[in-house]
Amino acid sequence: MTEPFLQVTDLSKRFGGLKATNNVSFNIARDEIVGLIGPNGAGKTTLLRLITGILKPDAGTIRFKGKNITGMKVWDIVNLGIAGTFQNMRPFRRLPIIANVMVSCLSPRAMKTGEWVKRIEAKAMDALEFAGISDMALEKASTLSQGDLKRLEVARAIATEPELLLLDEPFGGLSPAEADLMAQSVKRLHKGGRFGRLHSEGPAMIIIEHKLQQLMRIVDRVIVLNYGEVLLESSPEEVVKHPAVIESYLGKGDE
Amino acid sequence: MNLLRYYLRKVFTVLRNEVLVLPSRIVVLLFFLSMLLIPLVVDDPYFIRILVLTSIFAIFAASWDLLSGFTGQINFGHALFFGVGAYGSAIMNQHGLPHWATIPLGALVAVAAGLVVGVPCLRLRGTYLALTTLAFPIILLGIVFAFPGLTGGELGISGLTRLSTSRTVTYYIVVVIMLLSCAAMWKITDSKIGIIFHAIREDELAVKAAGINTTLYKLLAFCLSGFFAGIAGGLYAHFMRIAGPSTLEVQMSFQVVIYSVFGGIATIWGPVGAVFILVPLMEFFRLWPEFRTLMFAFVVILILLYMPGGLLPWIRNKVEEECPRCKIRNLVTRRVCRVCAADMR
Repeated sequence: MTEPFLQVTDLSKRFGGLKATNNVSFNIARDEIVGLIGPNGAGKTTLLRLITGILKPDAGTIRFKGKNITGMKVWDIVNLGIAGTFQNMRPFRRLPIIANVMVSCLSPRAMKTGEWVKRIEAKAMDALEFAGISDMALEKASTLSQGDLKRLEVARAIATEPELLLLDEPFGGLSPAEADLMAQSVKRLHKGGRFGRLHSEGPAMIIIEHKLQQLMRIVDRVIVLNYGEVLLESSPEEVVKHPAVIESYLGKGDE
Repeated sequence: MNLLRYYLRKVFTVLRNEVLVLPSRIVVLLFFLSMLLIPLVVDDPYFIRILVLTSIFAIFAASWDLLSGFTGQINFGHALFFGVGAYGSAIMNQHGLPHWATIPLGALVAVAAGLVVGVPCLRLRGTYLALTTLAFPIILLGIVFAFPGLTGGELGISGLTRLSTSRTVTYYIVVVIMLLSCAAMWKITDSKIGIIFHAIREDELAVKAAGINTTLYKLLAFCLSGFFAGIAGGLYAHFMRIAGPSTLEVQMSFQVVIYSVFGGIATIWGPVGAVFILVPLMEFFRLWPEFRTLMFAFVVILILLYMPGGLLPWIRNKVEEECPRCKIRNLVTRRVCRVCAADMR
């Protein structure tokens, strides 16, 4: 039997007395987009940060393409092909936007084809083009609005040409129309191919999002977290009808 | 002959289209030319000596900027590298090596010192890092005093060979090394590595999440900075013909911070310019020896109050402005951008 693409087994992380994630297990296939939803404080971001290696788990293992990546350095995980975005955007504020993306283009994974500076700029430009902020490439990152910062986060993540992309609220701060556009581009990225000089492997994705309307349109499967535990794992159609999800999102009705 | 004409024309084109269009670049050109031509005009030993010392401190200040200005690893113990370079080349010179070998070797010892400081400092940031680095030169000072047989104790190692017996040749050795080192440091910060250094200062975690091994780049910054500071230390030792405990003093570490902040950090040219303003100014203030330090402090505080980004970037922003469209710098009096012809008003 072949190994699953990403295999998370019994992952636990505590912050003091709080169990942020508790024995979380799931698998992700190479060609999937998985939505990760749950109320605030359910442990979604913690889970993503555990996978990208920013946080170290207390227990459990994460296997990526059959390789145990638990406790590896953040940059090693990125260079294996897992890229994530930050929920609270962390741009290099005093650098131009294009330089923000060029940092990602300078990672060994993105550099492995042996490119020289001019190509890197072009590649960074194509990542920005994909995210839709290429017209502001020379502005300082501190001048960007919240929504554009989200796009910058996405551009930085895809510039490393990941095989697994972890998006933390990619539609946050975008208007519904912009969120629709973003959802379309995410779907397009998932199909893979070339965007200018930027190559897309057609990454598998895990998307955390509260805007369920846009999310449900693009995902193949949804994992619902609550209090750090997997509440439900199912197709989008079933999830939105499931009583436990409605309860955890909207509260219990009177009847 | 045709080749020569080709290169001459190329130099002329670059000069006309790239250098003479911006005041800051003209200043740099004039600086390079005047540094190389001064000894042909002036033959005052005192003046030459001040210029040589200023050049040495310019390398030192720029190397601090490379580490602390760019990667944000604030180092309050930069004298360590200077002292290690000075002592390293002095000890090797004592054992018979000539100065053209001891200065680069001393700089390599300073690179090793960069690793020694860099590795424990990887886990620290901000204030904690600054305070920890402050301790390293003091530790080395203790070691220097503990082994007077090797280091000469409080007296230091004296009687080193001169850089050259001729004053003019000494001047040229130091100034050419200074110009080359500063150009090299500027080039490093203007490259891909420079972008990563900038980014590490802004947000280290985000750089890690972009797949960059930040540990490697931080150590690289420590080593590069140590190398250039070590060269400065070696030159200083051979020029003064003594490597003493004064090279490791806290005052040395803070001087370089003052120079850099005064001139504008994260620029390389800022600290170099600041040294060439402040060191001669300090010499000028010798006219009033009682008030020398007071006046120096007054000037520095005044500049920092009104030009928080540093003196030189402030002046540069007054005479040049960025094109709103292509971000290329233009002379402030221009109506349209010299490259993209966008309206500058």
